Amino acid sequence: MNRQLIFWVSIAVLVMYIAIALAAPLIAPFGPTAITGTPLEPPGDEHLFGTNDVGQDIFAQLVFGARVTLLFGFCAALLSVLISTSVGIVIGYYGGLVDEIVSRAIDIFMPIPMFPLLIVLTTFFSPGILQISILMGVLGSIYGIRIIRSQVLSVSQTCFVEGARAIGASDIHIMSRHILPNVMPLVMVKFVSQSQHLLVMGVGLSFIGLWDTTTVDWGTMIQNAYSSGGMALGLWWWILPPGIVVIGISLALAMIGYSIEEKFNPRVGVNRL
Amino acid sequence: MALISLTGVQVAFPSRYGRICAADSVDLALDTGDRMALIGESGCGKTVLGMAVMGLLPENAHVSGTIRYGDRDLLTLPPAAMQQIRGREISMIQQNSANSLNPVMTVGEQVAESLLVHRHLSRHAAQEEVSRLLGLMGFEDPERVQGCYPHEFSGGMRERILIALALACNPRLVIADEPTAGLDAQVRLQVLNLIKNQIGDNRTLLLITHDLGAAALLCTLIAVMYAGEIIETGPLHAVLSMPKHPYTLGLIASHPSAGLHPIPGMSPPPDQLPDGCRFCPRCSAATDACRCTHPALTDTGGSRQVRCLQYD
Repeated sequence: MNRQLIFWVSIAVLVMYIAIALAAPLIAPFGPTAITGTPLEPPGDEHLFGTNDVGQDIFAQLVFGARVTLLFGFCAALLSVLISTSVGIVIGYYGGLVDEIVSRAIDIFMPIPMFPLLIVLTTFFSPGILQISILMGVLGSIYGIRIIRSQVLSVSQTCFVEGARAIGASDIHIMSRHILPNVMPLVMVKFVSQSQHLLVMGVGLSFIGLWDTTTVDWGTMIQNAYSSGGMALGLWWWILPPGIVVIGISLALAMIGYSIEEKFNPRVGVNRL
Repeated sequence: MALISLTGVQVAFPSRYGRICAADSVDLALDTGDRMALIGESGCGKTVLGMAVMGLLPENAHVSGTIRYGDRDLLTLPPAAMQQIRGREISMIQQNSANSLNPVMTVGEQVAESLLVHRHLSRHAAQEEVSRLLGLMGFEDPERVQGCYPHEFSGGMRERILIALALACNPRLVIADEPTAGLDAQVRLQVLNLIKNQIGDNRTLLLITHDLGAAALLCTLIAVMYAGEIIETGPLHAVLSMPKHPYTLGLIASHPSAGLHPIPGMSPPPDQLPDGCRFCPRCSAATDACRCTHPALTDTGGSRQVRCLQYD
């Protein structure tokens, strides 16, 4: 399939999700927690996707859930990329003892799988969405620091960085004006792939109930359906919609990430679709 | 008083073979308006010397001796003060290579950089100044050139941009490190003439090169380096027409116009320098004395100095 087409379709999907999240009160016919019908109503005219076990509208929950899930994913990804970029540039540029210490710390954390680590760590923090997105941002930045650092190591050896030093530019000037723009493509790719990764992980965390279960998001919707026996009773309208929207946004972000990477890094070359 | 003077400068690096001296007991002095060529083959320590003056050597380099610029000793100057001197007082014309200009910044932004750093010009004023500079460098349409990226230019054009970059803040001392490397003969001449015109009589030039032709075109003084030491120095025409050190003689004989006669042998690796004269393993006139006594740089009159026992 045409790469260009995949890219633009994915962008369109992403924009649609964001638009829905922003315009949630206009789109949803009911509030996400309002009890507006009889329990377990199948899809019909009044309730587009039916209702759950307490009579809340599933379509409304889906639309409002987009706000929480997207906001969470993008905030965590933004934080993670900010940390990776700033730490990666500083340790890559200065090197020395700080670089050594940070790099060894990364070596220690890298082999620990992130999800189990996250589950353990969440028990030490209050399960607010803000706290968890900060935690995820920090943990998610570890791999990125390495990638950015290695790129910075090569950029800081180039003649134009030496030239900038020769005209008396300060370290901060060199890092912000010369090194940052040269690692920006990597940062952008990393941001998109991190949003996908952390968003799905956030849905997973909320599914196993490790964050504020009173918020309405896609993970808690699946969790509610699962724990109330929605699967066993065959209540497909309760389980499927949140699952499908998660797959949709995750695919769209993955495709955007791949397309950008292929664009910026000709060596990737292979069409992964 | 000399604008810049180096006294007993030694640059050493630790290595797995022990301490290696890339440049040893170097004495040089340049007055305002002097144009000196530092000549020598690859690895003789000429670039390291240039970097030592700029204060841009890697951290593991150990520099001793004194480098006086005006009334300041550059080697003991705090980093912040050195930053103020780099680019404004002493600047460097870099060799044109694939990454001597930042590929993701426009040429205008890069030339403007030192103006913004040192002279705190407004963006608009800096742009006008950059246009003026690029005009001086022979660009027909400086406004358009400013907005272009480095990959849009040929090697010669990039070298001219690098010259504009080095001269932006009107430095008093310019160090040019192989400014014509990788350029074809026609463009090389163009670039050398440009440097000559821009340096003028008020600026001081230290040209680091192995190109005798470039040295003859640009400079009035010459210092020949071999294996980390200066072995002969003096007025350029006097030295080239009547060289006193056998290495200088060999260097001139190996020039294409003199018939491409190479000097036999290789320069010694820096960890296995001979005890006596460093050139004696390759020297046809070497005696036993040359093999055990390390010659000092001696005055021979006519403001010339030579490091050779045979010359007396």
